[in-house]
Amino acid sequence: MKSSLEKFAEKGFLLSAILSASITIFIFSFMFLFSMPLFKGGQIVQFFRLEWNPYDGKFGILTMMVGTGVIASFALFIATPFGIGCSALISVFSQKGLGKFLRKVVEFMTGIPTVVYSFVAIFLLVPLIRDIFEKGTGMCVLSASIMLALLILPTIVLFISDAFNSVPKSYIHAADALGASPVQKLIHIIVPSAWKGIISGLVLAAGRAVGDTLISLMIAGNALQIPRGLSDSARTLTSHIALIIASDYESPEFKAIFVCGLILFAFTTLIVLILRLLGYFEILRER
Amino acid sequence: MNRFTEYGITFFIWISGIILIGAIGVLLSFLVYKGIPSLNLSLIFGETRPLDALLLRKEVVDGLFPAIAGTLLLILTSIIWAIPIGVASGIYLSEYCNLRWKRFFNLLLDILAGIPSILVGLFGFTVSIFLHKHLSEHIYPCFLISSLALACLVLPYIIRTTEQSLSNLPFSIKTTALSLGASKLQNILFILIPYNLSSIISGIILAIGRCAEDTAVIMLTGVVAMAGIPSSLLSQYEALPFYIFYISSDYNSQEELMKGFGASIILLAICVFLFTLSNILKKKVAIRFATH
Amino acid sequence: MKFKFIVSLLCILTLVMVGNSYVNAGDLDRFSGVKGTLRIAGGTAHIPVMKEAAKRIMGMNSNIKITIAGGGSGVGIKQVGEGLVDIGNSGRKATDDETGRYGLKMFKFAIDGIAIVINPKNPVVKMNKNQIMDIFSGKLNKWKDLGWKDRGINIYTRDASSGTRKVFWKKALNKGEISKAANFAKSHGAMKAAISVDPYGIGYISVGYLDNTVAPVSLNGVSPTLDTVRKGDYKIARGLYMNTKGEPTALTRLFIDYILSKEGQKIVAEKGFIGVR
Repeated sequence: MKSSLEKFAEKGFLLSAILSASITIFIFSFMFLFSMPLFKGGQIVQFFRLEWNPYDGKFGILTMMVGTGVIASFALFIATPFGIGCSALISVFSQKGLGKFLRKVVEFMTGIPTVVYSFVAIFLLVPLIRDIFEKGTGMCVLSASIMLALLILPTIVLFISDAFNSVPKSYIHAADALGASPVQKLIHIIVPSAWKGIISGLVLAAGRAVGDTLISLMIAGNALQIPRGLSDSARTLTSHIALIIASDYESPEFKAIFVCGLILFAFTTLIVLILRLLGYFEILRER
Repeated sequence: MNRFTEYGITFFIWISGIILIGAIGVLLSFLVYKGIPSLNLSLIFGETRPLDALLLRKEVVDGLFPAIAGTLLLILTSIIWAIPIGVASGIYLSEYCNLRWKRFFNLLLDILAGIPSILVGLFGFTVSIFLHKHLSEHIYPCFLISSLALACLVLPYIIRTTEQSLSNLPFSIKTTALSLGASKLQNILFILIPYNLSSIISGIILAIGRCAEDTAVIMLTGVVAMAGIPSSLLSQYEALPFYIFYISSDYNSQEELMKGFGASIILLAICVFLFTLSNILKKKVAIRFATH
Repeated sequence: MKFKFIVSLLCILTLVMVGNSYVNAGDLDRFSGVKGTLRIAGGTAHIPVMKEAAKRIMGMNSNIKITIAGGGSGVGIKQVGEGLVDIGNSGRKATDDETGRYGLKMFKFAIDGIAIVINPKNPVVKMNKNQIMDIFSGKLNKWKDLGWKDRGINIYTRDASSGTRKVFWKKALNKGEISKAANFAKSHGAMKAAISVDPYGIGYISVGYLDNTVAPVSLNGVSPTLDTVRKGDYKIARGLYMNTKGEPTALTRLFIDYILSKEGQKIVAEKGFIGVR
């Protein structure tokens, strides 16, 4: 016995949900549509080459893919140990003292705009790196990775410490009753129980690291080369899109951006699927 | 494991916390040290008198006022799009949707939440070019496109918070009104939403914070280095995060650079304020549930 | 729309100007009573001149709004050709292909040299053309080989859209290669800022942008100054152009006339370029 108002409202809500969900589909379609002309001619292969030189007709974005891979991986490499360490401090070792303060600091960090991180890094970190390495401009893989690690650290820390906190208290009490030290508790009880949460946090952070634009745009140097070392300048897919956006939107140059977009979209979908597998979203929804 | 490993691990754990706090401390103090000196009225209003600028009588050309105004207007317009659609979607997903469709919708929304912001910007740019070619010569990347793109970016935040908070309501709250004869819609509109207002608002504030700080989306959809106050939805505009980005590499003098630091402090203050507010509201909700 | 503008133009021409303490009445008169928005984009070298002109015009008439974006010469030409902006600035002449495709009209408003710049701490202020070509191609990559410290040479360049880059590549590098390891600067300002903080950097910017935060390099004995550019001794020079799609009308026309007027050309000179009048 639903009144017509009820039915109308339900339809309205449904429409909104469909609209929201279809945005994802739209984004994918646009990326796909605009790069489709390239699939047809088999031209797509040309994008997976190394050289990017539009004037010569070379549109290889492989360099940028490597750049993204290197910078994101290194950022994760730096952030993971620190992330786990800080989470352990917050949830296990110092729940009332420094750990509590640390958690507030991390929550504060989630509010820091990316552009502010990059801005400060340009004037603080970059000259430092330049002087330490004594070569290069300081705008390189290392600088970008360090700032990116700082950016994704809150995600990792908050996630993992929540995972640590949701380990059943009975396990912890049992360990305490048997006389385990905090380190033993951490390594033998907490981490094994919470591994799903840990991996989810890391995967989420990986997604963020790959998708970030500003840090690599402002700090990584944007050179069109595959970085051979930490002090080499490199370019990521995201900053490539930002740099090229001003070009002619008929040429292959512009279409190359859509291929970059497709790759990033595919990567995001992959991350989401992995997270689903790990049950991340169920955990999130239960909270 | 032996004593040394234990001490080593413990040491590492404490050190990582200290290093992190130290790093943020250094970052903030550097910012404040460089930026505080330039925080004065002329940073914002340039050479124009503040009253003239605020009443829109005169344009400010070398101050942050257009950028700040641009950011504020952008936030306002984006959430005007995002709130109704976001809250409505959240309501649908938590109250009306069946399980199979839910998984499907949630998959799409989770992908949307994870999409790099530059892709959303690219999408907005492409849409505007598309419209420019096929609909009207007057449409190009502009304020309207930016606010729509930003709305797409923050929609997942609002939907997620609304859906989760509605789903997590205690059974008793959800069913009391229904047992007294209220219709489903009345229940939602008059009981569940008002009860949940803090959560929903915390999600909205999170969305606002995200709109304020985003740079990648607006870079591709209409923000420029100099434009004054946007005079219409179809005009270009300035924004604070873009100003910081632009100044970081394009400064012509130490003075201009200091303005960048000042702008960074202002943006940081706005964003931190918003995120903290959102957190406080979230915690208020948690406390309320804890006492039930 | 056009009719209204023409009518107001005629009205302006018969009005007496209200003086404004900001600038001399006269060249700005043409803007009184006018309304509208002007969109400018393109070359980054032009920005200081455009900004100053916009400041004076908007200060004098608050019904006019001028928006200025950068992006480089390529962007300027593209956007004005596609109707996205009213004036597209470029630091190089539009190619025949571009002019034909978009129906562009070019207005040269300044002459500018492109100087090779290094950090003030760097003593290597004299170079010859071969050295420049070798440095930018990556063959010569240590400052030691030029008589300074044993540090790598950090090359800075602009992106493909830049007119400055195109002219530099053509005239200074004889269309030679630019090393892949080159760092990208997004604009003139960015290039200058980067070199001013990197003691081992080398790049190229417009002579108008030179100041004491960077040091110019003399090429084959000729220093890049306004004089040498004007006389033709310093060969790496180019014009700064405003481009419009078809004949400019109304506010666009007024703006172009202003830049080409006595006052506008004074702004051009103040910002370090050479006027065309």
